[in-house]
Amino acid sequence: MRALWRRYGAGPGHLLLSAACLAIAAAAVIGWTQRPGDLMSVLIWFAAAVLLHDLVALPLYSLLDRHSIGRLHPHLAVFLRVPALISGLVLLATFPTVLGFGAHTAEQLSGIREQGYLLRWLVLTAGLFALSAVLRLSSRRDTSTP
Amino acid sequence: MPPRLSDMSPPPGPFRPTFWRSPLRSPQLTAILGLVLLIGLPVVAITGLLSNDAYQPGLGANALGRNIHGPLDIYLFGWPTSPSWLYALTQGVHVSLGLALFPVVLVKLWSVIPKLFEWPPVRSPAHVLERLSLALLVGGALFEFATGILDIQYWYAFPFSFPQAHYYGGWVFIGALIFHVGVKFSTMRRSLATREELAAVVGPGAAPRPEHPLVAPNPSAPTMPRRALFGAVGAASVILLLQGVGDSLGGPLRPLAFLLPRGAHRSGPLGFQVNRTWAQSGLSAARLLGADWRLTVSGPRSVTLSRAELLALPQHTYDLPIACVEGWSTTQRWTGVALADLAALTGAHGRLSATSVSVAPGTYGQATLGHEEVADPRTLLALAVNGVPLDLDHGFPARVIGPAVPGVHCTKWVRSIHFQPEPA
Repeated sequence: MRALWRRYGAGPGHLLLSAACLAIAAAAVIGWTQRPGDLMSVLIWFAAAVLLHDLVALPLYSLLDRHSIGRLHPHLAVFLRVPALISGLVLLATFPTVLGFGAHTAEQLSGIREQGYLLRWLVLTAGLFALSAVLRLSSRRDTSTP
Repeated sequence: MPPRLSDMSPPPGPFRPTFWRSPLRSPQLTAILGLVLLIGLPVVAITGLLSNDAYQPGLGANALGRNIHGPLDIYLFGWPTSPSWLYALTQGVHVSLGLALFPVVLVKLWSVIPKLFEWPPVRSPAHVLERLSLALLVGGALFEFATGILDIQYWYAFPFSFPQAHYYGGWVFIGALIFHVGVKFSTMRRSLATREELAAVVGPGAAPRPEHPLVAPNPSAPTMPRRALFGAVGAASVILLLQGVGDSLGGPLRPLAFLLPRGAHRSGPLGFQVNRTWAQSGLSAARLLGADWRLTVSGPRSVTLSRAELLALPQHTYDLPIACVEGWSTTQRWTGVALADLAALTGAHGRLSATSVSVAPGTYGQATLGHEEVADPRTLLALAVNGVPLDLDHGFPARVIGPAVPGVHCTKWVRSIHFQPEPA
């Protein structure tokens, strides 16, 4: 029995948990079949989410960083990378609004046209870089004073 | 016999540990991000399931066509009506915390990306199952975050039905998360067990276990302290959390949500946000909602009431929120007839549910309220808000509003209300 688990590569708890995990996923697939046409598009979105993130987005932003900010002196790089990272992460969660992709539907539903989101995000980004610049200048003064 | 993968050296590229150069990656970094997600994500998952409960999918057509008897259609209890801001709270937490954790999820995935290319790709049957469940975990997380983020911002770029896709996707994620925590919890605890290891998370020092697969064997020169990474992720999380908080609490805090829709509103007592305008229905108000409009209230008996007759019934006033599944809320002062009084007119009594049908058809052209909601004296067929008669966009001539009722169940432009016994 022990040899069997050794061949499996883990204990019975592992097998039980992974079986439960796969069973739930199978039940979800059944759930998605309730509306004709949903299942295929859901599975495509599911797979695309993983592939686009792991094999496209992540290598892309790593390369982008390496060939731009990464080339700068480390002391300078951190003061650019932090505001860029904050601004980018915020944009990733709000881009449908900031870039206006949802604007038409939102106006139809709410009856109010809301504009100026891109400007707001740009102001936020500028503010973050400005704050970073202030911190950089004050940290340089700290290190230069004896 | 063909050579075994595990005997071969990894192919060039990301499969070789030397490919990964960032000195920031370490088991401690991953563990601390994992700990944040371990605390936060279950809250997001549970509030999501509570939202399903609040919709009371077992009643009427509330399930929107979903089969509620499937193995994952867990629907444990009714939905309480007190406090009246209960749904605004649970859904506000679901959306706000979800937004706040999105940056943490992305950085966590960045921190473990070398594991995607580990060599050999397959070590044992257990390892195959583990990698499969990881695909479900990462896929489930990204799918849930992507669909949720698009939905709350009205970019319906997906071709499927959001409630069903997001609900079952949530279960895929929950199942994979339980497995992942079961397998990795001890690793996380070990990675944060000693003082030096905790110090290594924020400090500039090297990780205590240099041979660990997440630690770059030949790291590039450090260009960013680990605490700067934490600071950046934390700041992005706080900015996004405030977006949700502003939209959910509303009032003077609404401007915090400066990067989400629903910030703008008109002035005056009727200026607050609406989820659906009348114009969207494309119907003629003059024909359907004019002086000829009548409300049919049915149960054991059927009664037809004009707006004047409704106004002649006892009127009650309560402060109640409209709480949307998208996470935004707005509390206003509503005046109207208690639903329980209308039930009494039909001779219905006992444990009742109420199905309200709108003049405007569509996905939420009808909704069924459960017995808690019908019995609560604060559940109204509202005729006025903030002291003035409803206008078209707020549901004139009459709309449903009730404590802790999800916004879309507060039917507008009501044509009929039917009371029926709710099975225990």
